[in-house]
Amino acid sequence: MIQLKSMLNCIDNSGAAVVECVQVLKMKRAAKVGDRIVVVVQKQRNLAADLAGAAAAAQKVRRGDISHAVVVRTKKKYGRPDGSFVRFDDNACVLINKAGDPMGTRLNGAVAQELRGKQWSKILSLAPAFV
Amino acid sequence: MSTTAGASLRPLAQSLKALTLRPIQRRAVTDYASLRDNLPRKVGMFGQKKVFHSPQADEPRRHIKIHAPLPAPASKTPIESLTSLQLATLDPTGAKQKMFSRHNPDSVKVGDILQVRRKNGEQPFAGVVINIRRRGVDSAFLLRGQVTRIGVEVWFKLYSPLIEGIDLVQRTEKRKRRAKLFYLRKPEHDFGSVANIVGQYMRQRAILRGEGPKNGQQGQRGGKTGKKGGKKN
Repeated sequence: MIQLKSMLNCIDNSGAAVVECVQVLKMKRAAKVGDRIVVVVQKQRNLAADLAGAAAAAQKVRRGDISHAVVVRTKKKYGRPDGSFVRFDDNACVLINKAGDPMGTRLNGAVAQELRGKQWSKILSLAPAFV
Repeated sequence: MSTTAGASLRPLAQSLKALTLRPIQRRAVTDYASLRDNLPRKVGMFGQKKVFHSPQADEPRRHIKIHAPLPAPASKTPIESLTSLQLATLDPTGAKQKMFSRHNPDSVKVGDILQVRRKNGEQPFAGVVINIRRRGVDSAFLLRGQVTRIGVEVWFKLYSPLIEGIDLVQRTEKRKRRAKLFYLRKPEHDFGSVANIVGQYMRQRAILRGEGPKNGQQGQRGGKTGKKGGKKN
């Protein structure tokens, strides 16, 4: 259940660590896994000044940047067609550009399998594991 | 009603010869004091019976079709019999029922570590049982495990045909004093990853069944045999 002001972990290497949801797109209710949201970067993973040149270039977003994102894990349990329910310990998202391609090149952490049926197979293929 | 009212009514009653007015007329001249002793106690029940008589009451009753009684149900507990019927197809050997039965001292308890193998080719999910929901065919259990260091909880339907097998990896050391171990969600109580315990169990089982560690992967696919292997440990 991701809504306005929800804080999410960003699990890609785009440079954001914690982001805040400012808008749930195309819906008038809370976002769940696979839904597109607009976020503001609240915490950077590493400050660009501390990093070397190549690493600093990899940091695509900075604190205060606005970006689109896809929810990949929710703390709220969600049902599956086979009757099972899944919940994660945190809310997490992956930053994407307007076209829907992930900003980062790698993910750290499991994502929900529900991304498969919702055109997010690119994110699913980047993920190290899915539940 | 006073006598003056009776006097005014009398000519009207005579002209109409209405039966309905006659009791009123009679009543108007009744000496209530003497009548009170003769009347039954509950005037409303007995005394007024004829006054408010239904006009249809004296007619013969309508013919109401009386249906034959429905055949008696097969059992006095239809839900229970339905449940047993469904379980006969979903769990023909009764192994899953026995595994989670309250009457079985060796049944799965909260705090045990289970591994669920699924038929759709997904990775088996292992975790600590933190809740058991016994509701006939709708029975389910909640496993809490970790995937890439992220806590994940999954409810599995016990009798789901999509579940290939359930392995009891490790029993809880001490009987848990709670029926639901939701406190395991707190960081200070979190069980952490069960990957090591599950890996050890899989290796041990492969050795016990006389298979190489690589063939052990194939051995897992046998549904019922895998479950029995889980119970031995």
